[in-house]
Amino acid sequence: MSIAVFASAKRIFLGYMLSIIIGIFVGLAIVRFKYLDENVSPLILGLQTLPSICWLPFSILWYGLNESAIIFVITIGSTFAVSIAIESGMKNINPLFVRAAKTMGAKGFSLYWNVIIPASLPSIITGLKQGWSFAWRALMAGEMLSATKGLGQVLMVGRDLADISQVMAIMIVIVILGVAVDKLIFGRMEINIRQKWGLDKA
Amino acid sequence: MSVVVENISKSFITKNDTINTLSNISIEFHKGEFVCILGPSGCGKSTLLNIIAGLEKETSGRVICNGKEVKGAGPDRVVMFQEPALFPWLKVIDNVEFGMKLAGIPKDERREKAMKYLKMVHLTRFQNCYIHELSGGMRQRVALARALTLDSEILLMDEPFAALDSQTKNILQLELQQIWLETKKNIIFVTHNVEEAVLLADRVIVMSANPGTIKKEFHIQLARPRQPENIDLAYLAADIMKELKEEVEKVAKAEFDTNWTSKKDLILPDSDSDMGTGI
Repeated sequence: MSIAVFASAKRIFLGYMLSIIIGIFVGLAIVRFKYLDENVSPLILGLQTLPSICWLPFSILWYGLNESAIIFVITIGSTFAVSIAIESGMKNINPLFVRAAKTMGAKGFSLYWNVIIPASLPSIITGLKQGWSFAWRALMAGEMLSATKGLGQVLMVGRDLADISQVMAIMIVIVILGVAVDKLIFGRMEINIRQKWGLDKA
Repeated sequence: MSVVVENISKSFITKNDTINTLSNISIEFHKGEFVCILGPSGCGKSTLLNIIAGLEKETSGRVICNGKEVKGAGPDRVVMFQEPALFPWLKVIDNVEFGMKLAGIPKDERREKAMKYLKMVHLTRFQNCYIHELSGGMRQRVALARALTLDSEILLMDEPFAALDSQTKNILQLELQQIWLETKKNIIFVTHNVEEAVLLADRVIVMSANPGTIKKEFHIQLARPRQPENIDLAYLAADIMKELKEEVEKVAKAEFDTNWTSKKDLILPDSDSDMGTGI
């Protein structure tokens, strides 16, 4: 059991980190370059609607039945959610912030680093959260079909042995893990920001 | 002279036609001068300020600031907006330091200067608060401190006190007057409030609407610091109000659906009818 949790945790950590990095990169590129925005955004939206499990056959053929295939599915499952969130977060910030910063001499990189990114942080965190849940789903799908160890695989063993208690137990573990990460990481970030911005007074 | 506006025109192109917001405006702003630009809503006074700031592009003409043509926004022309535009993710002191941080001023010097200007707006007690913890008037004062830290000779203000209640507004007007006396910046102040303009300005420029042009200039040569209760201010305000009223009616007629007319206000004091009092 702990082996399974550990194996899953390692995969999701790797896959999720990759997806954050790629997602931020893609999101920033879209915001920065209008050409990309016009041509790539619809494509990304389309890819986002493709369920991550649909990538599994592709990734098994590409990488074979191994770790990389699952990590690929996790990454691709959550990258688009992250980049869409970053894109819309940065586009929807209060234009007054940008105007004020420009008159104080901000431009180019410093404008992004000092104003646009912090201003869009609340929606970026929402996007990361959503990306996390997409990554988690993709992980389960991948593990159920092609892993030799991991939570999804234990779940499938439970099914094969017709052991409902094992199946239920694993489902509960998955929920607990999800809630724990949400509360401990994203929850704290969110509370911190809401307090700073004064959004929790309503 | 520090800012020269030369033949500025601005038109917006909409689906059906072009709207000439500003037409052929030329003004000179002198060093250390406090100028109010006064006009009815929609006459393009904010647009003019944005063009001077470099936040909007003029259709024709040019703005020259200290001998150089304005190409974009920059820290030599700091703007204070109607809303404070402070950053909610930073503490008060960090907000005040923001412009200096961009300019690459070292941390100690930055902090010292920020404290100096926070003291000027009487907010040192709140330096470690976040923006949402402040009242509207305090926020605007932080924005003023932030604008002052950059040591620009020119300060552009776009109706900075319009969203405040009248008591707070009075206090801030007096504070601004005091700060101007201390710093001697060239302040270009856009407002639609005649009393405010008369209280603060050396020179009031009245704009007309559709298209926006300069209608008249008033020089106000009253002693400073001025108090809002001063009777001379009321006479000057009445003079300017007469000039402005025509324009306000013109805008109202253009913007309202029905045939809108205002009755002549017979109570509005006329400085000619009572010779001697205004001297």
